[in-house]
Amino acid sequence: MIQLFHVTKTYPSNSPALVDISLQIDRGQFVFLTGPSGAGKTTLLKLLFREEEPTEGQILFDNQNVTRLNTRGVARLRRRIGLVFQEFKLLPRLTVLENVALAAQVVGMSRKESHIKAYRLLRELGLKGKYDSKPLMLSGGEQQRVAIARALINDPMLVLADEPTGNLDPVMAEETMRVFLKMRETGTTLIVASHNLELIKRYGSRIISLRQGGLVDDLERVTGAKAS
Amino acid sequence: MKWSQLAFVGRRVRHSLWELLWNHVLTSGTMAMSLFVFGVFILLQENLQHLLKGWGDQVQINAYLDTNVASNEAQSILERIQSLPEVEHVRHISKEQAWRDFQTALGAQSAVLEGLPVDVLPASFEIAVKVPSRSGPLVEELASRLEKIEGIAAVEYPQEWVERLSLIVLAVQWAKWVLGGILFVATFFIVGSTVRLALLARKEEIEIMQLVGASEELIQAPFVLEGMLQGTIGGGLSLLGLWLFYLFLQQHFFLAFPLFGSMIQIRFLDPHSIALLLVIGLLLGGMGSLFSLRRFLRTWRG
Repeated sequence: MIQLFHVTKTYPSNSPALVDISLQIDRGQFVFLTGPSGAGKTTLLKLLFREEEPTEGQILFDNQNVTRLNTRGVARLRRRIGLVFQEFKLLPRLTVLENVALAAQVVGMSRKESHIKAYRLLRELGLKGKYDSKPLMLSGGEQQRVAIARALINDPMLVLADEPTGNLDPVMAEETMRVFLKMRETGTTLIVASHNLELIKRYGSRIISLRQGGLVDDLERVTGAKAS
Repeated sequence: MKWSQLAFVGRRVRHSLWELLWNHVLTSGTMAMSLFVFGVFILLQENLQHLLKGWGDQVQINAYLDTNVASNEAQSILERIQSLPEVEHVRHISKEQAWRDFQTALGAQSAVLEGLPVDVLPASFEIAVKVPSRSGPLVEELASRLEKIEGIAAVEYPQEWVERLSLIVLAVQWAKWVLGGILFVATFFIVGSTVRLALLARKEEIEIMQLVGASEELIQAPFVLEGMLQGTIGGGLSLLGLWLFYLFLQQHFFLAFPLFGSMIQIRFLDPHSIALLLVIGLLLGGMGSLFSLRRFLRTWRG
């Protein structure tokens, strides 16, 4: 589903953030991107949802060349991707329900329909009774689940999560990972950037390690073999 | 854009109007002021043009007689003028008739004439000119011939004034566009700054909308609509101001200039100019928003 061919990303006046990365991620995979700070994990995610463009190389998403998309194409691409961030990126003036429904409304779902879907997702994620709360009234774990609900409301093919447990205590982090695992059961592809080794060891089925912008390891847990 | 997305845009505009109410009031007020100044020029121009049209329609020459001209002499002068090929007809206005006409023209203000002798105004001829001879140089040439007739003291014709006033109207027209242009450019940037403030206030929201795949149109539409709404409200406020200004002029112009006031009827803007002010407001608001928005989003995206 995702293919990267010799992708390099260099920011002006900086050393390369990614160097000659080639990899393939299949539909339904749960991939951990790991590595120390500055390894290029966030840059790789940004390239996938076209927040950034590669300096060299090509990226295919569902057989579509992401590097050649215009503004309209980028918007269409992002409707198929759910995004989860470390800092949640929720709008404080909106309620939990409105935050989730917003993502569906901007792509054309009616207000009523989006609210019904948001209710359902929030209930499934254990946030029943929190619909009308403002995000800042919730705990970190709850806010992250709201962000996950928002990422899922448009039934994405791919979910990208950048350090989703970075601001959570261990219990909340476990809880978030269980939500991701459940997501995987529906066939959604998941790419999670994290340097939480505990979680990676416990939940990662495929682990891609980056260091100084280069791919240093690509391991699939099931077979124990290196991924091609 | 789908209906559900249009409804979404409508909701966002409504939210923004409440949240940034003073921002919107200030912008509409600024636009109203610019459009008011522009409207004053239109009002002036339209009234001058109306005045000119009235004068131009009745191309007529007034030939004033010497005070010592006897009535039989006046009759022979009238016949001489009547025989001129350019002349359609001639009307003799005696001193008494002139006095009565003047009293009628002054209407309620005629009391100012009290105490003056009835023969203070000279007798005259009102000479109507045939249509083919109504152009400026021909009227001028006819007037100079009339001046040479013995017994005629002075000749006046509105064409002279029409030409002078035409220049003033032209100047007003130019001033309207030059000053209006400067004001509009300033307003355009003021609208832009307000939009930038609104954008900064909603930066987070726009960022999230971009991340979840909202189209550029959907992100921009509420801001452009808000700008158009501000502009139209600004246009409406300027029209209200102009109407009050018009009422003020109607009342105070008569008091300040009773003579002219009774003869000149001030008119309000015609429907075309009203529509023009509203459309300019709408475009200024919409374009100002769009311009600022595009620049902001471009810089933001890097």
